[in-house]
Amino acid sequence: MRRAQAGESAAFKALFERHVVGVRRFLRDLLRDKHQADDATQESFARAHAQLTKLVDHDRFKPWMLGIARNVAFEARRVRQHEPIEHEDDEGTPDAVIPSPDPEAVLLDRELDKHFTEALGVLSDKRRAALLMRIDHGLSYEDIAAEFGWSIPTVKNEIHRARLKLRAALLPHVGAGGRS
Amino acid sequence: MSACGRTAQLESIVTGEAGASLAAELRAHASSCPRCRHELNWLKTEAKLFRERAAREEVAQLWQGVAARRELPEERPWSRVLVALAAMVLVLLGAGRLALNARSTAGHDVSGVSDDLAMSEALMSPALTQEERENCSKLPDGIGFRCEPAIPASFIASR
Repeated sequence: MRRAQAGESAAFKALFERHVVGVRRFLRDLLRDKHQADDATQESFARAHAQLTKLVDHDRFKPWMLGIARNVAFEARRVRQHEPIEHEDDEGTPDAVIPSPDPEAVLLDRELDKHFTEALGVLSDKRRAALLMRIDHGLSYEDIAAEFGWSIPTVKNEIHRARLKLRAALLPHVGAGGRS
Repeated sequence: MSACGRTAQLESIVTGEAGASLAAELRAHASSCPRCRHELNWLKTEAKLFRERAAREEVAQLWQGVAARRELPEERPWSRVLVALAAMVLVLLGAGRLALNARSTAGHDVSGVSDDLAMSEALMSPALTQEERENCSKLPDGIGFRCEPAIPASFIASR
């Protein structure tokens, strides 16, 4: 990290190679467009390179990088659709307990992958970004709170609501073998 | 299903944040608590789906775009091949040179070491030494050269 901050491009390229797969997947899930995700990935790393000296805590590169990627994605959506970022809409968020699937029986075939992507798409932008940061990219609640400028209880609440919506959208496709 | 105070802890199993003993304790609890069993099933399902998606991820060649935007020096893939080839040529040239030197040295040491050994080497190697090349003279009619054999006829006859 120090070498990358000192301007060594090979060191920054090593950082790029370590994180590009996750960042690109994060952007594809936010933008739901492969080509835009590729472009946004390049823009995110270019911005990270430009701002790298501002990163003081080297252990926070991943949340910092995903924070940049999230900003790039939100900007891209504004430009693409001339529409504001979707605000949280709790209508349709199930309060009741949804039947549970059998995790051993669930297999991500092409059909389920499609439904899973669509299910992620029903979430509002910020909520989806927070959920992805937590489940897919393993960020702590503290790191997500820092990136969004939210309190930790807010992050937990947002992710909980995102989970309920995701589960409701997934349920018809994963079965309910573990219904209790 | 009634609420349970331990449901919020279950996520630490799938994220790996729970230690082995806490994870075992939570699993044991979930097996007897319908609410927690339900939550754990969903958490495991979500984690599995995300994990399987991540394993399929493919990344296009995106570095060039980053390098172009930031004007970073771009490494050309064939430059390494050229360097490797140049190194190989140098090694081969060096090895050849060493072999020639060794042969030349052996020729100088013929009288000092062993006539048989030197002759054997001369028989096996068609390369001419400087002395051997100098052993030729122009024929009287001016066409062609006559060379004294580098290997004495007596040596060849003895084989």
